[in-house]
Amino acid sequence: MPRFKLVNGVQVQLTAEEEAARDAEEAAWTAGAFDRAIANLRAERDRKIAETDYHALSDNTMSAEMTTYRQALRDITNGLDTVEKVNNVTWPTKP
Amino acid sequence: MGLISNGTTIFDNGSMASGFGSSLKFISKATASASASIEFTSGIDSTYKEYVFYFVNLHPANDAVQFQFNLSTDGGSTYAVTKTTTFFRARHREDDVVTSLDYKTANDLAQSTSDQILNDGLGNDNDQALSGSLTLFNPSSTTFVKHFISDINEIQDNDMSLRGFLAGYGNTTSAIDAVKFQMSSGNIDAGEILLFGVS
Repeated sequence: MPRFKLVNGVQVQLTAEEEAARDAEEAAWTAGAFDRAIANLRAERDRKIAETDYHALSDNTMSAEMTTYRQALRDITNGLDTVEKVNNVTWPTKP
Repeated sequence: MGLISNGTTIFDNGSMASGFGSSLKFISKATASASASIEFTSGIDSTYKEYVFYFVNLHPANDAVQFQFNLSTDGGSTYAVTKTTTFFRARHREDDVVTSLDYKTANDLAQSTSDQILNDGLGNDNDQALSGSLTLFNPSSTTFVKHFISDINEIQDNDMSLRGFLAGYGNTTSAIDAVKFQMSSGNIDAGEILLFGVS
């Protein structure tokens, strides 16, 4: 199915060259789906760990629940090998 | 009845005096309809020192896509201006589990001609879309680089409000005369982009 671009409000069919370039862009995008998803997850995981870092200060005794929670965050990427799994991950509940 | 401030008439008999409330000048509008890209190759010149693109409910064909733009100095023949940019975002998911304010390195550019991302993972459910703006400063300058700032909000594919803040510059002293918008994958199925000049 041909693609169309909108140039100054007018629909213009893509040339064969433009179609090929767009195909290549979309293929590259699709190939990077898992990397993008896992990077987003790791960023959120790191933020959640940092949020509880103060529990690990030397003048504080970390509770067993907090230790378990932080370990679960560290392990959250285990077994994630598809975008679907990454998107459906269940975050542990902060104690 | 009129309104006069420091000797200057602002309203006279119910009508606003000329020169007030008219700084945004409508230039053109593009209404997406299964569009692979949306290009503005006219209307960006030395008439105004500032141009604003408003995005209204841009809806993608594909799920979890990035909305991006690039600049041209040759009337739209090529879109590959070198850019250096910064991007940060605020997020809040509907289930209240994810909240964050963070810089996203994957969305910035360092002297790259690649398309610039304005968002992060736009969803394509029937009610999901992106709205916001992109301001381009003095695009016809042949002295300075071309600064731009964008502020958008979207519903991400995972049901999250994401506000994206982008700023940067096209590192060229050639005049910018065309801008292209597209999704990272698939068409822009619906929505509008309006172009205004600021006088």
